[in-house]
Amino acid sequence: MIDTSTIILTLIWGVAIGSIYVLLATGLNLIFGVMKLVNFAHGELLMIGAYIGFSVWTALGVNAYIAVFLSMGLVALIGIAVERLCFRRVLGEDKLNEIFVSLGLIFIFDNVAVLLWGEKSKRIISPFENMSLALGELSISYDWIIAMLFVVVILVFLVLLIRKTKIGMAMRATSQRSQASMLMGINIERIYIFTFALGAALAGAAGVLYGMIFPFNPYIGALPTIKAFAIIILGGLGSIPGAIIGGLLYGIAEQSAVIFLGGIWRNAIAFSVLIIVLVLRPKGLFGKKGE
Amino acid sequence: MFSKEQVVELTRSTKFRVLVIAIMISAVVPLVIGDPFLVHVMTLVAIFSIYASSWNLLANSGQGSLGHAAFLGVGGFASSLLAINFGIPPIIGILIGAAFSAGIGFLIGLTCVRLEAWFLAMVTFGFSVIAETLVSQFDEVTHGVLGFRTPLLVPSGLPFYYFAVALATTSIVIMYLIMKSKTGLAFRAIRQNVAEAGMIGINTAKYKLYAFVISTFFAGLAGGLYAHFLRYISVTIFAAENSFKPLMMSVIGGLGSMEGPIIGSMIIVAIDSLLPNIDKFLQPVMSPLFPAVSNVGPPLRLIGLGLFLVMIVIFFPKGVSSLIRKVYNYLKK
Repeated sequence: MIDTSTIILTLIWGVAIGSIYVLLATGLNLIFGVMKLVNFAHGELLMIGAYIGFSVWTALGVNAYIAVFLSMGLVALIGIAVERLCFRRVLGEDKLNEIFVSLGLIFIFDNVAVLLWGEKSKRIISPFENMSLALGELSISYDWIIAMLFVVVILVFLVLLIRKTKIGMAMRATSQRSQASMLMGINIERIYIFTFALGAALAGAAGVLYGMIFPFNPYIGALPTIKAFAIIILGGLGSIPGAIIGGLLYGIAEQSAVIFLGGIWRNAIAFSVLIIVLVLRPKGLFGKKGE
Repeated sequence: MFSKEQVVELTRSTKFRVLVIAIMISAVVPLVIGDPFLVHVMTLVAIFSIYASSWNLLANSGQGSLGHAAFLGVGGFASSLLAINFGIPPIIGILIGAAFSAGIGFLIGLTCVRLEAWFLAMVTFGFSVIAETLVSQFDEVTHGVLGFRTPLLVPSGLPFYYFAVALATTSIVIMYLIMKSKTGLAFRAIRQNVAEAGMIGINTAKYKLYAFVISTFFAGLAGGLYAHFLRYISVTIFAAENSFKPLMMSVIGGLGSMEGPIIGSMIIVAIDSLLPNIDKFLQPVMSPLFPAVSNVGPPLRLIGLGLFLVMIVIFFPKGVSSLIRKVYNYLKK
């Protein structure tokens, strides 16, 4: 039967999973806001991040949570390479070309991961495996709490970076009027690289946290991308608070669907949310009208 | 739709001659070589030419679908289920399946035509996942989870091959004529700039919906043909791979041209069917480098395909067919 504790647990699960999606969606949103580029291969960066975390954890034997930072750095480097070699060349042309390039990248990333790590599912075992906080009838795994804390800390740093630093100001300027900010002496190519690297780093962090909660294989990247998309559309393009609220709402909706409708609805619910919102508001929930 | 002069002009064009030669080659080659595997591969090329051309037509109206497998699957399931449950002959069944797919395409199109390119890509991808979920959910009706054996359309082998080629030629010519007509002109105007197309009086939502319905009709037709060709259908037909294939075929072959999707489907089907032969040579060389995988062939091929796609988009946005055209023009000089 569905009782109160099930509902509360569903909410907490939803928030924990949602917070990982928030990281991914924020990265995607940042890249979209500044570069007007939609990176459909963003989920692949999450997948690579999870594998990097796995390798760091198995090879060096370090605490899995330290792997988060290493993974962020390495995925940011991969992001820089991707931006310089692929997206830079098709930026601002036909929107379809960006989609095609992302699709090619999905093929490349997925199969490089298959070659390096094999197709079998893997999991990162955190140091707090099977430990949980008991609150009356409920028990909440420490991993989820730590994952949520990580997300909060990363997002606070991100907001400070964007609001308070010079490069954050340049990013905001570029997102508003790229040509005018170029005239003001901002090197927008460097801003693009920085933004893409930042978005990739967030995906890398999300990857390691994802790998501690779910088992992963080289093909998991596509669905998180779409979920991140649904979240961005829910929360509004280019808005970080929107992505946070959208992500949490989305995580709760997904968990509720899994608990009350059954596991096969986990993914279909993402699209149902996406499609319903887009039918009602073709530009997104908080999107600008008449662009 | 077309005046007599236009028809005469069309038959005198190089394109028409190439088309006739291509049909003749595709009719004669299997008779001369007659290898069953080659016939199998060439039938696949014919089926995927329809499928890729239908995707190409939609992309030509500025709408890049990432979920065309939904329509391939709907067409395949509709025609196979009609044949099994109601005894409708598959030859009519594939047309009903195509019409059914177009009907669903109309409904999905209604939600999609107002969306921007990236939203549309996501939403269409979403519809293919929802279609997959629904077919698995209503397994008593669809029998999709385990799949089932589809009835015979035309005897397999050469008869099926000629049937597929005839159907592919008809479909592609129809799509070509649509693209050359006023409707097609509107599609291309929309692709170049939606706002401007709207300003010169094109009802963009209406024409985008037309493109959606036409494209999903032919995708459903290809799906019916595919299901009866493989003699088996299951929910795996909705896999993302099948959604990405027509995109890769059109882009690699040449987006927006008639011959592009055909050339692209030749390339992709050839890569899929013929290259596995070199796996046994590749395996001893590469497997010590990558101990994690048992068979290094498929991932290496897919990496190659991904690199190929990215490079085509960056260096030859008009695809392989533009290269062929350049060579032809050079030789003519």
